[in-house]
Amino acid sequence: MRYYPNIPDLNVNSSINLLLRRAKENRTVEIEEYITTGGYSALKKALTKFTPEDIVVLVEESTLRGRGGAGFPTGRKWRFALSNPPPRYLICNADESEPGTFKDRIIIERDPHLLIEGMAIAGYALGAELGFIYIRGEYPAGAKILEDAIEDARKKGYLGKNILGTDFSFDILVYRGAGAYICGEETALIESLEGKRGHPRLRPPYPANYGLFGKPTVVNNVETLSNIPIIVTYESYYMNIGSSGYYGPKLFPISGKVNKPGVYEATMDITLRDLIDMAGGIRDGKKFKAVFAGALGVYSERDLDTPMDYSPKGFGGTGTTIVLAEDDCIIDSLIVIAEFFEHESCGKCTPCRVGTYEQLNILRKFQNGTATEEDIKLLEHLGRNIPVGSICGLGYSASNAIMDALKKFRDEFYEHINGNCPAGVCFKND
Amino acid sequence: MEFIYLTEEIKQQIDRYVEKFPLKDQAIIQSLHLIYSKYRDIEDVHMKELSEYLQVPLNVIEGIVSFYDMFRVKRGARHHIRVCKNLPCHIMGCKNLLKMFEKLTGEKANQYSKNGRFYIETVECIGSCSIAPAFMIDDDLYEGLNITEEKLNEILSKYT
Ligand SMILES: Cc1cc2nc3c(=O)[nH]c(=O)nc-3n(C[C@H](O)[C@H](O)[C@H](O)COP(=O)(O)O)c2cc1C
Ligand code: SF4
Ligand code: FES
Repeated sequence: MRYYPNIPDLNVNSSINLLLRRAKENRTVEIEEYITTGGYSALKKALTKFTPEDIVVLVEESTLRGRGGAGFPTGRKWRFALSNPPPRYLICNADESEPGTFKDRIIIERDPHLLIEGMAIAGYALGAELGFIYIRGEYPAGAKILEDAIEDARKKGYLGKNILGTDFSFDILVYRGAGAYICGEETALIESLEGKRGHPRLRPPYPANYGLFGKPTVVNNVETLSNIPIIVTYESYYMNIGSSGYYGPKLFPISGKVNKPGVYEATMDITLRDLIDMAGGIRDGKKFKAVFAGALGVYSERDLDTPMDYSPKGFGGTGTTIVLAEDDCIIDSLIVIAEFFEHESCGKCTPCRVGTYEQLNILRKFQNGTATEEDIKLLEHLGRNIPVGSICGLGYSASNAIMDALKKFRDEFYEHINGNCPAGVCFKND
Repeated sequence: MEFIYLTEEIKQQIDRYVEKFPLKDQAIIQSLHLIYSKYRDIEDVHMKELSEYLQVPLNVIEGIVSFYDMFRVKRGARHHIRVCKNLPCHIMGCKNLLKMFEKLTGEKANQYSKNGRFYIETVECIGSCSIAPAFMIDDDLYEGLNITEEKLNEILSKYT
């Protein structure tokens, strides 16, 4: 019997049963069960029926976009890497550290072979012989589960030399991070994977040209790679899943004030309202107030009918949805998020390092009753300027929440200036 | 050189890392994890031994230890309690959970452990927001919603 650290039952549900087909219960699906339920047949199909080029075309046509946050078209990313000579590397980004995000762990802990199969097919398409899974340090169970699953896959000939008797060889190594959100950013991840401090690199060059060990590298999210076996299995039928341009299953981690927080699988045409309904509606019969979603933007009641897709007005991002009810305070929540950015800024760019510190201090003034109207202007000034002076996505998005809140919940800032917290959270002495 | 902290078991595992990764430096963070799981702290003596064993300059190892949160903090305890404080856990009551931990262990959050058993740390999101407020003790993950002092005490008693 294999021993893994304790993992409580995280609630999971699906209306379409693709990514989460085997992952609804809190247990790890072992390789035998994976195979008897159709697993590794996509890899077999890929290696026997398709050329690597065929796979790339399938992925391009699928419109698959990266599930790690930026939503970049996966096929296009692969194309860039393929335009450079081998050796090429594949990296699976399992750093999952964005606040409110806990979807990748479900695949890793419950159905690890789905990811492994996806990586093997991606490796074939990219002409890569070695792949890495960079998993956050705070997922010790996940790392062990992956190690064991990879070993099982090697034994059965799905990884290693001459996979399934073909001349394709591919292996995967698991690498643990150690508690740094910035290492989810792909160039910082590569630095960390090379055994260094995780500071982002200046781009260009992009990883597709100059990545791991200076070689062409594709970095893809866990959920992105787990879509690959589904694409290969369904081929053009994949385009029946969801709505035009944003095909495929998506995982939505929902947390906060809903009755049944958890990871929900749906197509991306689902609206925020339907997603909240899927999660059992707002807790304790309270009224909806806001969500922190996408790249930690803030959305209000007026956004409830927006689809959770990658369109310009959609939520995009990782699918993360943190729900606030009427008794939660926007300012108080912004402070928590600002503390996070202040703590996680790697310090390489001064506007990000100092700016995240300043915006936190200014926000705190709203909570301790010393803020003035001038502080709203200062926040807007920082929100405009931190992204400009930053080289990575952390700096670009560090003020998203504040800027959104200043548009959608501006009243709350003024209320706090007047010493009043509409949700009754701030100005209490305890 | 004699290694006191790098036990035979740890050395064997490090050898495996060095063998499997293309680059020797890739073994550094993974080796630090081995040390951290055994000693729940990374101290100067550990870094010196690792530098010696891997033949990597000490300053490189120190640079890494000072960058990554899991290694950087000095804890001085056998067990490491991580209480998540990010937004989902914040609105689901992590402050109360933290108070309970402080009361039951007699330790203060984010302060060097007094009695050497528990170190309590407030951390950013640990990817478990649907069971908020979530916490970890060493490698184990737990759910903190509606938890009572009694239940928490029972959990703590497993970590001696
Ligand atoms: C600060 C920061 C943190 C990130 N964290 C993650 C992460 O934990 N997981 C992830 O897949 N992508 C993360 N990303 C996005 C990656 O840089 C990259 O876009 C992604 O891994 C690409 O995979 P995809 O195309 O499959 O989405 C992060 C980006 C930034 C700027
Ligand atoms: S934007 Fe911030 S996190 Fe990104 S490299 Fe610059 S300082 Fe580091
Ligand atoms: S915010 Fe606490 S686990 Fe995610």
